[in-house]
Amino acid sequence: MTETSKELAGKTAIVTGGARGMGRAIAALYARAGANVVMTGRTRETGHAARAAIEESGGKAIFVTADQGSNADWLRVIEETHRAFGRLDILVANAGQSFPVPTKDMSLEDFRRLNTVNLKGVFLGLKHAAESIRRHGEGGAIVLIASIVGKIGAPGFIHYSASKGGVRLMAKAAALELGAEKIRVNSIHPGFVRTDLSAMFDEKTLAPLVPLGRFGEPEDIANAALFLASKRGQFITGSELVIDGGWTVQ
Amino acid sequence: MSGKLHGRTIIVTGATKGIGQATAVALAREGAAVVATGRDEKGGEETLRGVAAVGGEAIFLRHDIRHEAEWEHVFAETEKRFAAPYGLVNNAGNFFVKPLAETTETNFDNIYEINVEGTFLGIKHAFRSFASSGQAGAIVNVSSLMGQVGFPDAIAYCATKGAITAMTKSAALEGAKMNPRVRVNSLHPGVIWTPMITAQFGDDPALADAFAADTPLKMIGLPEYMADAIVYLISDDASYVTGAELTADGGRGAD
Repeated sequence: MTETSKELAGKTAIVTGGARGMGRAIAALYARAGANVVMTGRTRETGHAARAAIEESGGKAIFVTADQGSNADWLRVIEETHRAFGRLDILVANAGQSFPVPTKDMSLEDFRRLNTVNLKGVFLGLKHAAESIRRHGEGGAIVLIASIVGKIGAPGFIHYSASKGGVRLMAKAAALELGAEKIRVNSIHPGFVRTDLSAMFDEKTLAPLVPLGRFGEPEDIANAALFLASKRGQFITGSELVIDGGWTVQ
Repeated sequence: MSGKLHGRTIIVTGATKGIGQATAVALAREGAAVVATGRDEKGGEETLRGVAAVGGEAIFLRHDIRHEAEWEHVFAETEKRFAAPYGLVNNAGNFFVKPLAETTETNFDNIYEINVEGTFLGIKHAFRSFASSGQAGAIVNVSSLMGQVGFPDAIAYCATKGAITAMTKSAALEGAKMNPRVRVNSLHPGVIWTPMITAQFGDDPALADAFAADTPLKMIGLPEYMADAIVYLISDDASYVTGAELTADGGRGAD
């Protein structure tokens, strides 16, 4: 894409977890493509820094402090979106957490804490975004950031598996349910991508094992998220886009 | 009594009706000592009669899979009454169909707690039990065709079954590293004529015919077919099978 192609001009997009890592790269790219961007996240300071960066490069963005797992926060995010930009066209449900614990030592509290954000939070996002997109009746695009762990196993991450496997299937069910309204729903499955979250993995040891020889960059995911949300992805729904440098085909 | 599962103790959740009940009977027929668990005592008694009718051995324990303390009780009681368990069938689950717009946060929480947390707790406590008893083991998680493909008006259910499909894979990798090794697989039933389905759609025989007509094999799915698949996955016939998805749906998923 060239800097001048404003393929999301006139569109408004919510990007959850939009202040850091992949979310921040997606928000920045969407803004460059002409979208009004609503970034959400739990940390006010990081959020406003990300918003300021977008504004400095000529984009339009707001930041709303919100927890993806909270229904009340979602109502507020949608309200702020409509107040600032008057409509919603795109949701990228990107916020998520991950931390390893062997299954037999994992507390139900840890399991639920992660799934409230990663699984229930995506359900709530789908529900509220679909309702909001429905208001103008022109259709829209929803991109759910899952993981390769929604498709293959990862020892010590059973809670994360549950959340990402759940998201993977929600995208398909939602694609079928919302297709008639021209709301497309797809999932992206990143492998190792260099973010705060991936700092727990030893890149030196793992990167050579990735067929493409490196960890992904947040921009690799952002490019896919733009493709799926743009007109270029107009016939794609219920699809899984795996972006892992070839990790899962080995 | 001889059989593929002679001398092995196996816990089956939701064994008060439908797939769980048929599975308890089929496991007992293969010689397993079965611990049938569930919330419905009457259904549990019916399961015990079914097991007795094939000359098998079983007990029923009241069990709400959402509560960790009840899982601890089930495993402790199993060891006391029989022996350290060899297998667990995570079968209990809920189902509903509802458009996304009408699905409330509470609807989601309820189905998530039973289907996802209940299954997680089962895997966790089975792993603990296998590790402490030194008993090799096998777990079968009952997912769904809807844990592999989408279905409209079933976003919440698909979320929970997709979660079970993926949890199975991580659990399989962890189980493979345990000593002795533990196998973990998922079963994916299509439309099976059980109370779970009839409670949602009604029990008009015409509906069963319609489901059959809509299935490539032109058969209505019966709980017994699922029981056969579960017995296979639990038994040594599947000793090289772990982290796998066994779809038993009359061909619907391929259609």
